Amino acid sequence: MRPGKLEKEPYNVIIAGVGGQGNVLLSGFIGAALVNEGFMVSVADTFGVSQRGGSVASHIKISRKTLYSSVTLKGKADLLIGMEPVETLRSLAEFGNPGIISIVNPRPFYPSGGVAYPDLGEVRRAIERMSSRTSYVNVTEEALKMGNPIYSNIILLGAVIGAGVLPLGEESIFPLLAERFPGEILEINLRAFRKGIELVS
Amino acid sequence: MANIATLKPGSTCLLMGNEAVARGVLEAGAGVASGYPGSPSSEVIPALAEAASQTDIYVEWSTNEKVAVEVAAGGSFAGIRSFCVMKQNGANVAADFIVNLNMTGIGGGGLVIFISDDPGGGTSNNEQDSRTIAKWIDNPLMEPSSAQEAKEMIKWAYEVSEAVNLLTFVRGVGRISYTRSNVVPGELPRKAQPEAVFPEIWDRNNPRKSRFTSGPFPVFHAPLHEKLEKAREIFETSPFNSYTGPEKPELLIIACGASTSYCIEGVNELNLEDRVSVLKLGTTWPLPEKLVAKHLKTTCKVLFVEEMDPFVERSVMELAAALLPETAHLTFFGARSGHLTPYGELSTDSVIGALADIMGITYQPRDRAYEEMCVEAAALVPGRPINMCPGCPHRATYWAVKNGLSLDGRNGFVCGDVGCYSMGFAGPGFYQARTMHAMGSGTGLASGLGKLGRFGLDQPVLAICGDSTFYHAVMPALANGVYNNSNFTLLIADNSATAMTGFQPHPGTGQTATGEPAKVVELEAVCRAMGATVETCDPFDLPKTIDTLLKMMAEESGVKVVIMRHMCQLVKGKRKIAPSWKMHVDGSKCLADACGCHRLCTRLFGCPGLMVDGETGKAAIDEALCAGCGLCAQICPAHAIIGEEV
Amino acid sequence: MANGINELFDEVINRGLCAGCGACITGCPYIVAHAGRIVALDKCTGSEGDCYKHCPRTFFDFDGVSEAVFGKAYPGGEMGQVLEIFMARATDPEILKRGQDGGTVTSLLALALEEGLIDAAVSTRMDAEKAPHGSVARSRRELLESAGACYEVGFSLEAYRSLPAESTEKLAIVGTGCQVEALGKIKREPPQNSPDPRNIRFTLGLFCGWALAPGTFHPYLKSLCELSQVCKFEIPPRPRYSFEFHFENDREAGSVSLDVIKPHINSGCHYCWDMTAEFSDVSIGSAETFPGWNTVLVRSPRGAELLALATEKGILETRELPEEKLSHLKWAALQKKRAAVEKITEKSGSKNDLLHIGRPPEESADILSRWNIL
Ligand SMILES: Cc1cc2nc3c(=O)[nH]c(=O)nc-3n(C[C@H](O)[C@H](O)[C@H](O)COP(=O)(O)OP(=O)(O)OC[C@H]3O[C@@H](n4cnc5c(N)ncnc54)[C@H](O)[C@@H]3O)c2cc1C
Ligand code: SF4
Ligand code: SF4
Ligand code: SF4
Ligand code: SF4
Repeated sequence: MRPGKLEKEPYNVIIAGVGGQGNVLLSGFIGAALVNEGFMVSVADTFGVSQRGGSVASHIKISRKTLYSSVTLKGKADLLIGMEPVETLRSLAEFGNPGIISIVNPRPFYPSGGVAYPDLGEVRRAIERMSSRTSYVNVTEEALKMGNPIYSNIILLGAVIGAGVLPLGEESIFPLLAERFPGEILEINLRAFRKGIELVS
Repeated sequence: MANIATLKPGSTCLLMGNEAVARGVLEAGAGVASGYPGSPSSEVIPALAEAASQTDIYVEWSTNEKVAVEVAAGGSFAGIRSFCVMKQNGANVAADFIVNLNMTGIGGGGLVIFISDDPGGGTSNNEQDSRTIAKWIDNPLMEPSSAQEAKEMIKWAYEVSEAVNLLTFVRGVGRISYTRSNVVPGELPRKAQPEAVFPEIWDRNNPRKSRFTSGPFPVFHAPLHEKLEKAREIFETSPFNSYTGPEKPELLIIACGASTSYCIEGVNELNLEDRVSVLKLGTTWPLPEKLVAKHLKTTCKVLFVEEMDPFVERSVMELAAALLPETAHLTFFGARSGHLTPYGELSTDSVIGALADIMGITYQPRDRAYEEMCVEAAALVPGRPINMCPGCPHRATYWAVKNGLSLDGRNGFVCGDVGCYSMGFAGPGFYQARTMHAMGSGTGLASGLGKLGRFGLDQPVLAICGDSTFYHAVMPALANGVYNNSNFTLLIADNSATAMTGFQPHPGTGQTATGEPAKVVELEAVCRAMGATVETCDPFDLPKTIDTLLKMMAEESGVKVVIMRHMCQLVKGKRKIAPSWKMHVDGSKCLADACGCHRLCTRLFGCPGLMVDGETGKAAIDEALCAGCGLCAQICPAHAIIGEEV
Repeated sequence: MANGINELFDEVINRGLCAGCGACITGCPYIVAHAGRIVALDKCTGSEGDCYKHCPRTFFDFDGVSEAVFGKAYPGGEMGQVLEIFMARATDPEILKRGQDGGTVTSLLALALEEGLIDAAVSTRMDAEKAPHGSVARSRRELLESAGACYEVGFSLEAYRSLPAESTEKLAIVGTGCQVEALGKIKREPPQNSPDPRNIRFTLGLFCGWALAPGTFHPYLKSLCELSQVCKFEIPPRPRYSFEFHFENDREAGSVSLDVIKPHINSGCHYCWDMTAEFSDVSIGSAETFPGWNTVLVRSPRGAELLALATEKGILETRELPEEKLSHLKWAALQKKRAAVEKITEKSGSKNDLLHIGRPPEESADILSRWNIL
């Protein structure tokens, strides 16, 4: 997708993850960038349990014409940004369709309370089967390499922008990063963002 | 989060509904804003507090919602436009004041209350529809359908409030409060606030307005109904009521609030634009009857789409009854017919379901083969129980409580309360909290249960509350317990912030909503002054905490308070306090499933920072999640979890 | 069939059979002893637990345990496997003063420590308020602090747990019959989260008629005297029939009739058949009518070696046990077996079901015939 060009009306994006992974930050960047590019956007985040290890999903509905409600219709997502494999699959089961594109962090986050995690290979195969295109980006691993898992969502943002699946280019993200991360921390976040782009190129 | 005071009028911004509400308050020129935190309404006050330094507004976190409305009403009485915000449960707390305020009416400044309800109950322990309160006390009510509209509606609500001299409600829902969408800010008023004065006694020009006493009510009750009728008149032509669709629809949808956009989307998705119309009501109480009656005449079928109680549905059906026989031809669909539920959150999908059924359409978003894959996928996906955060002090507290109660051996139990520690009723709190109702109820229940020794209750009675909850509603219950010589132990989980809703300061934190230093209302001092025996523990010192609990429970009479003081891990994160420990698991020592452990750390203790290594089967630290609090090292029977001080 | 914590509670603790030995606490995070009771802190999902396996009140395989301890089947009789019987007492005046009777137990431990035969001694120590706790002594000073008998149930095998599983320290463990039985089971089926039982070089058994339940007895005792002033508890031989407590500063000793004490007997002790701690290397009791002397039963070759060393070094003074004393001892030991069997059948409701000492009819009959009480 080229910056500024929306391929479908409305275009439905879902960011699926686990509370505490920072999907609100990610949806915030994408939403703000889209508004700056003149789109009509609704961003809905799961609220309440967000900090507590529950499943969370942010829905972004993008339009050139009208403001839609924020929640994606069943089976109508176009792009799925999966911050965690099981959460990706959970969203696919509800919002997936044969055309959906999935960009997935393959690092599992285990549920607490002794709940068993399914076989990762099986989860990955299911994701691939249910998506028209699946890319894996090891953002948690890369973030840990950079010294802190908190960079993983910025790396993922880079990967999503780099993959060209949103009507946004990197230029629309830079000013937002500068605004959000003033001073010293900008540098490392820019590095994280570029790392993400690099991972998908 | 952008500072809502500095948004450029006419520009397009991405704002959360709660921020848009706050911006509306500024645009309306309100001078007083108060509230008590509670999702989904918590972000309004912080947004205003941040704007306070650039604008002419006083912003506070009040100790509870009743006080909050009183503070705002004070502003109104003195002629200042005032604003108050709360979540649905807060409306109940505030109700005691509000049901008198309707009689006195407001002062010279308009008074608007924004209540955010929580259909679906994502962040609440009840799912009440607080619109009822508007009807109950005969005050006007509006419901926005988007963030932009919420902002505009707040502004307009002041005009209504002042025109009819009544408090005016704007009712949001979580979906509006938390959705971020395009909002175009308007101008901020240039005028300074009027000078605040409490009206003089026997003000000749305005005798009614020289005092605000709800009695003698016969004087006020009849005028209240006149005011309400005036509000209805205003609502008949409200800009927030609109109609889209054919002139003579096969089906008329009457919708309000967040559901409105579901209706429009649903109609589009099913290509019913030529057959179905939508009457959106922004003003839902009092019902603009003429407007509704006009549209009822154009159709044979009506579908009500609103979340939770069939509030509008009932008003309209009442109206239809009054209009008989003109309305005899109508069939109504909605909560009553079972097409939609009077509970839970609605969605475009639920509206599509209702429409498809009424209009005789089949709707299939995905083909059969894909649907099957979805069923398989769903079966593969495990549930993800919510948990307390890694490093959460409540986990330590409940662990100590669990062990303390077991050691005590008399089937002691904990009356729970509302906050992060509510999770004590489930696995993360080891199922220790056994009641959960309103703020402060745990202590009230304990006060009563602690008196039942005479009828044979010999179990130790405990209650738990958070620090913010303590100031909100626990103090009267504690005083009650001491006064009536009840016997219970209150645990105050003092994590230094109202963590559940996002770390707002409260009377114990030494900071106001706008960041100024404040006097600390000290927990220990308050409890001691009330006459309780008080001890303070760091719950991370498990042995000492357990000992203290045992000692307190062993005391045969009186009210005991244990203050569990440890900073919330997320507050630590916010204040950039580095983790204390670097943790690792010595796989050679870890017993895993073997006797002597059976995965105590991951199965029972359950900190999200702990996991089972898929390859070795031993426990491991999830570096991405562990907060380095060091607690798990204390509970591992094999001393396999090791913390190095950093 | 599951044999875990739930079954332990169902079959033993909630049935009043618990002896208070503390074996189930050994290495288990779910079970602790508190205020004289065994407490389950949480649900354990394990179905085959060491707690159940090592408890002397679940099944007790006499031959299996005897095989593990002595390398041969259980001989039966009144006192089980016995090699030598005599009387002994310490020669060290300090030990003689601090010891319960002749100080034989403490002397042997001190010798073993000194000679490097062991690194640590697991025994029972009273705190300032005279409540018993498991203790680990690694020096003569610590040993002396744990000398003397506490007549309350102490769950003291718990101390074995406090040692890290990977510990290689050589140990001696002192315990009453139930504790020695548990150790026998532990030797037969090593625990998963406590030191290797092969490190236990000596098991010193104490004769035991019964122990008292701390839950009720300790508060009662506290009401009788200033506990921190007490230096010794004693049950002197008949005809005195009393429980006595002695004070540091030559104050006159206090005394209460055993009739007052007996209601406080730990209920689990009524189901105990083992007066002489039959699965120890050496069993030691009071010599009753010879005040200041101990009765000693040597049961294993390694026990015999330790005793030989002690006499050789002049640490112990020994003398013969008069014949009539021996027959009285045997009679008392048999009495305890008979009483236990009676209580057990009362509890199980069937002569064929002897609970922990033999379940199927043949097994029950077998053990009774070995005890000559069929
Ligand atoms: C509960 C109990 C009941 C007893 N009943 C009898 C009896 O009926 N007939 C008889 O002849 N002897 C009985 N004894 C044994 C007797 O009291 C002496 O312990 C024994 O004679 C050893 O004497 P000693 O001088 O060598 O002791 P010491 O050298 O003083 O050593 C005593 C040892 O016993 C340990 N000990 C103390 N209290 C306990 C306890 N509660 N559980 C486990 N270990 C403990 C101490 O730690 C120490 O190691 C009983 C002992 C106990 C603890
Ligand atoms: S780390 Fe400790 S508590 Fe966790 S499974 Fe291993 S032994 Fe058990
Ligand atoms: S140190 Fe242990 S208890 Fe604390 S956050 Fe890390 S894993 Fe959780
Ligand atoms: S007898 Fe010993 S092992 Fe059995 S339950 Fe009692 S203390 Fe535990
Ligand atoms: S009587 Fe038996 S069960 Fe009781 S303490 Fe003595 S040896 Fe143990």
